[in-house]
Amino acid sequence: MSEPANIGWEQRKRKLLPYGYLSPTLLLLAALTVIPIGTVFLYSLVDNVIVNPNPPVFVGLDNYEEVLTNRKFRGALSNTMYFSIVSVVVHFIIGLSFALLLNSRLLSANVKAIFRVIYILPWVFTASIIAILWRLLLNPHGVVNFVLLELGIIPELNEWLSDRKLALNAVTFINIWSGYPFYMVSFLAGLQGIPDDLYESGRVDGGNAWQLFRHITLPQLRPIIISLALLDFIWTIHQFTLIWMTTGGGPLRSTEVLSTYTYKAAFSSHEYSIASTIAMVILAICTFVAIFYVRSQRMADE
Amino acid sequence: MKKYMLALMVVLLLSGVSMAQDVVLEFQQWWEPELPEGSFRAILDDFEAANPGIRVETISGPYLTTKDQIIASAATGTMADVVGLDGAWVNVLWKQGALHSLTQAMADAMYDDSELAAQIQLAGETYMIPIANFIYPVFVNLDMLGAAGIDPPSTRAEFAAAAEALTDPDNNVYGWAQPLSLEQPNGIQNDTMSWLWATGGSMLDDMGQPNLVGNEMLADTMAYIKSLHDAGVVAPGAFAMKENEKVEEFVNERVAMIINTLAHFTLIRERNPDLNFDISALPAAEGYDGPRGLPYASWGIGIGANTEHKAEAWKLIEYLVSVDGNTKLTSIANAFPGNVNATPDFIQTDPLFMTAFEIFQEGYLANEFTGLPAAEELMRQFDEPFQFYLEGEIELEEFLEIAQEEWEAIFE
Amino acid sequence: MIGSRRQILVRKILIWIALILGACFAGLPVLWMVSSSFKSNLEIFAYPPALIDYSFSFDAYKAVLSDPGQLRFFFNSYLVAIMVTICTVVTSILAGYSFSRYDFRFKKFLNLIIIGVQSVPPITLMIPYFGLIVWLGIYNSYTALVLTYMVFTLSYAIIMMTGYFNTLPRDLDEAVMIDGGGSFVTLWRILVPISLPGIVAVGVYTFMLAWNEFLFALTLTRTNDMRTVPIGIHLLMGQHSFEWNQMLALSVLGSLPVLILFLLFQRYFIAGMSAGSVKG
Repeated sequence: MSEPANIGWEQRKRKLLPYGYLSPTLLLLAALTVIPIGTVFLYSLVDNVIVNPNPPVFVGLDNYEEVLTNRKFRGALSNTMYFSIVSVVVHFIIGLSFALLLNSRLLSANVKAIFRVIYILPWVFTASIIAILWRLLLNPHGVVNFVLLELGIIPELNEWLSDRKLALNAVTFINIWSGYPFYMVSFLAGLQGIPDDLYESGRVDGGNAWQLFRHITLPQLRPIIISLALLDFIWTIHQFTLIWMTTGGGPLRSTEVLSTYTYKAAFSSHEYSIASTIAMVILAICTFVAIFYVRSQRMADE
Repeated sequence: MKKYMLALMVVLLLSGVSMAQDVVLEFQQWWEPELPEGSFRAILDDFEAANPGIRVETISGPYLTTKDQIIASAATGTMADVVGLDGAWVNVLWKQGALHSLTQAMADAMYDDSELAAQIQLAGETYMIPIANFIYPVFVNLDMLGAAGIDPPSTRAEFAAAAEALTDPDNNVYGWAQPLSLEQPNGIQNDTMSWLWATGGSMLDDMGQPNLVGNEMLADTMAYIKSLHDAGVVAPGAFAMKENEKVEEFVNERVAMIINTLAHFTLIRERNPDLNFDISALPAAEGYDGPRGLPYASWGIGIGANTEHKAEAWKLIEYLVSVDGNTKLTSIANAFPGNVNATPDFIQTDPLFMTAFEIFQEGYLANEFTGLPAAEELMRQFDEPFQFYLEGEIELEEFLEIAQEEWEAIFE
Repeated sequence: MIGSRRQILVRKILIWIALILGACFAGLPVLWMVSSSFKSNLEIFAYPPALIDYSFSFDAYKAVLSDPGQLRFFFNSYLVAIMVTICTVVTSILAGYSFSRYDFRFKKFLNLIIIGVQSVPPITLMIPYFGLIVWLGIYNSYTALVLTYMVFTLSYAIIMMTGYFNTLPRDLDEAVMIDGGGSFVTLWRILVPISLPGIVAVGVYTFMLAWNEFLFALTLTRTNDMRTVPIGIHLLMGQHSFEWNQMLALSVLGSLPVLILFLLFQRYFIAGMSAGSVKG
């Protein structure tokens, strides 16, 4: 009599089990991110929030229209894209090069261990310190200018962070410096996971180093490359402290990115509705990227 | 054993009772970390000793983030009872309804405000009292001026000539430094508009509205500053420079003259004890002999609107603006007092401060940004087209028109 | 044979050149930072830069280390970072297990949500988030920081743990299941012990993020007895002046724990990252 009921219970338990394991995560995320995100979404639909004594007014999509048609917003968007895409691409190149170097069979384990630690160094500092450090280094009378001038690489002292032709590249460089170790470590791990026999058989087939790299290493690393690039893209779009503390979006808005633009809207102009609207636009862009990410994962699974 | 427990409980109970009777005031400011260790607390201890039953708990943070923190706490009803204020923030907090009217508080306490040097008012009521003022004179490097055989300049033309004579790019030495960072755009207030105020000009009209277009004095001032940039006498990196870096350039003798706060006095002496420097009033336009407006920054103080202890909060403010409290505070902060009868020690003991005090008495305090809506944003919106103008991208009229348009949008 | 030996030599030299160039790129800025923490504030801004001949002194370190307030920041940072690490590791093991071993209805949707929550720029969430923390009554507490950093780190931690579990053959746990062990027993007795590299990778990643975070650490705390090292560094930036050398000294001291952590666990860490990223 009780057996079918028991089986039903067992089945239900089995069905519910995965949710059970996920419950702490879901609870935390629901409480601490879904609620604030919902609030920000509501803010984006109304006017007069937070620092305005007047009651909020529902304005529909007006804020979106205002943001999307704004010249400054589009400038910030294109700077963000440049900053993020260049960062991601160069992160990838440097991260992979360093990983390949550290994986070389011609180096002893000790040498590798030492250089691994040196290469990881930029990763251990918090963003605000990196900003301060590079402001000091890139100061017109800083050590970077001094060294480059002495070596004859530049003809005169450069104003790295205050010349608008240089500033965006300078902050991108700083971001590259601080972010590549994450790629390096991941690639190092990925390289160690590629079975040796793949290379052996490649060599037997007469492949040279470049061919081995192209036809074995890269395809093997493909899943890592895709997931790293997409995650990094999302993280870079959010990068705020580094840009804010080095250039504040200047000079002449040449390093204004979406995050600094949002911050100014919220904490300098006190336009929280506009800031929330920009946040929702960033959310939309990142979600779009995240969907790609999940897709690529699924493909890797299959 | 039982006895001990009982005694312990009695003690706990008593201390609980006495603690319940104490009013605890939260005092949020950025001053404590700026002052010598423990010196701010000592002043508050004096206040507590004089006012049994009130305890003051300090909430201290870095200056750069204090404003954001106060706004966020006001939005969530967790604002401190007493807050340190900068003139640039008052308006937004007032608009948010976060500040209690000090006019009200003074009336409730029947306080006579004749001793107060200044009060910042919005819509006819006081919301901030400046309790310590830091004026911004010109700091000049006497050794560099001496080597070039120049006296500290007093007019714009003299300043330009001096800056040119002192500039030597091959040795990385420049006449003047102007920080125009967009992250901290206060260079617009201290190092840009100050030129206008020093010559009796104003960036606002009689109604207190932006008056940037068709303002001859302002246009002249901006054209003058551009001429300094064009002459190559301004230290490189201006567009990203922040206030503190300007000072480091001066301390390292790479810049001969800067407009700078008196708050830096001790710092400059500590950093470079060999530096031979003096201060003078900001140069005015040729032929101007009226009183010179002195840019200044203040440590202001106000009361949070949500506090349950308005009377006690006012007592704390009253102490800090009293002759005794204000003298103590301004003495450790190297600031000019907010109480007209307070006399900080350094004015008598330090000749450079005596000079500063003379400049202070001959001129008048001028900072038109104080109390304006989104003052920091006004500076930033001015800074951006200003940079375009200095680069030669746009003409003077266009720059001022853009700035005027941005400002009007903020004033609305 | 000689030719190939010479080839190897040439290659070795090339690799060493690349290695050293890379080390300059990564290490010189840090070296400059460490050396500047021994300089006076005046020398930090000297031009030409004082590269070798400066008045070497420990003053900045002495100032930082003799300040009980600064030591408290270190204590707080350790406490918060360790608590976050433990909580995130446990939570992500449970979630990763669920994603790796079960098929359920909303799996893909939930997966997308977990990645998606990373997509909102943290600065814009600040005000509503702050309000929420105050409402929950955990403002200015370790709990607030721990929960916040869990939110920040969980997404990637779950991605890594799921990936790591995916690399482990299912036969392992199925064998235990058939023997009558429950699924929880399987996870705890079988999977967790052999997943140490993945767990270490998640742990190190979490620890680093929690140790270095600034914006929320500042907003969610109000008194210095709850604050962490990055805020201690910022407190040295005054309204008018910066104590550059102390700031750099504190940064050097502040990054040592992270560096040591990496030194101790690098082998595990790299192995764990591998699985995490191969099948993210």
